[in-house]
Amino acid sequence: MSWLKNDLNLKRDAGYLGLSVWQSPGTLYLVWGFLIAFLAVIVFWVAGDSVDPFRLAITEFLVISSMLAIGNILINTIDKLARVNRSKSEFVSIISHQLKTPLTGVSWQVELFNTKYKEGLNEKQKEILKNIELSNAVISRMVNDLLDVARIDQNNLFTKKEEIDIVSVIRKVIEKNEVLGKDNNVKIKFLVDDNMPKIIGDEKKTEVVLDNLISNAVKYNKKGGEVSIKVRKDVSKATISIRDNGIGIPKEDQEMIFDKFFRSDNAATQEVSGTGLGLFIAKNIIERSGGKIWFHSTEGEGSVFFVALPLV
Amino acid sequence: MENKKILIIEDDANLRGVLKEFFEEEKMIVKTASDGESGLIKLREFLPDVVLLDIILPKKDGYEIIKEIKSDEKIKDIPVILLTNLGGLNDIEKALALGATTYLVKGDYQVKEIVEKVKEVLEV
Repeated sequence: MSWLKNDLNLKRDAGYLGLSVWQSPGTLYLVWGFLIAFLAVIVFWVAGDSVDPFRLAITEFLVISSMLAIGNILINTIDKLARVNRSKSEFVSIISHQLKTPLTGVSWQVELFNTKYKEGLNEKQKEILKNIELSNAVISRMVNDLLDVARIDQNNLFTKKEEIDIVSVIRKVIEKNEVLGKDNNVKIKFLVDDNMPKIIGDEKKTEVVLDNLISNAVKYNKKGGEVSIKVRKDVSKATISIRDNGIGIPKEDQEMIFDKFFRSDNAATQEVSGTGLGLFIAKNIIERSGGKIWFHSTEGEGSVFFVALPLV
Repeated sequence: MENKKILIIEDDANLRGVLKEFFEEEKMIVKTASDGESGLIKLREFLPDVVLLDIILPKKDGYEIIKEIKSDEKIKDIPVILLTNLGGLNDIEKALALGATTYLVKGDYQVKEIVEKVKEVLEV
């Protein structure tokens, strides 16, 4: 009987499957066991005096064995689903990892070419090289997103606690999104408090989050629209706000906007490509860095996303 | 950075070549190894100022190498920078617990940023 095999390694088991301790098969078996014992007592208490011992024994036997069978089926199903989910995440992370080495190869080779061997290239050749770089960046980002999602599912996402100059990170991300801005005819503006102190977070991952928010603000904007980015500091944190005057998020979708794979209908019909992973990853990264992420949005008017991160 | 010695242990020839060129541009003395065993041998002969170390390597992996470095009096103070595409919480915690100075996830960095990180480690 599998619930006797419970080795009480609840925490390890749960962690491995990406579940909380309360959802682990071991805990569920224990809880179910108590429930059965409780039911058996109730049956005895209700019927003990009035029924003859033989019928009571049969009733108890039927109650206990049917509850055992139901429990076994339910808990095994939960366990199986969790394991399928787990192996899916492992598959994604192995594949993504295998993809990362050649992708890194492309981007480093292009960088080497640009730093040492670019001389004498004509404009067309430079343009081709730039396009290789951009396409590679698109695939790399997708692979990184998949890896991050797999890690979040496995409770295996690591965020560094380093001192970062948030202003230069934002400037870098803005520079990255300039081409996208031009293509969409959207202006990106940046306002910052003087003497912005450093913040604590993971530099590369914060860059990913801001890139996501800023590219969303550009992609889902109106033609000729504007993205305005501000950083403010208060006592213990820096708050970055990214405001657009784009399509906005419908009220009924606002609760789900940080869910994995969720894309609002009005976003999906905009012919803007997206995986529905960006905001899910963003929320996980920011919260694991000790920060907060939230937004206000009105459909048809635009959205403003806020990210608060602790100061040094 | 001039005349500082760096050992790069990386099995991907493509990545190894790019790293080598960038560090040579900095006038550093660069040696490379393509697997864990030859990496350790070169490390003991060359006695570099810093090691760039991959984790998934033929013959001996990066974790094994750090363990050996840290248990050898002669080389235990050489800073080890892990440069890998393994970036999960368990990989990183394991590497740091073994005594790696820092770790960098390859795909997240441009080579010039890696050069900067190496500079930071060498200045300390």
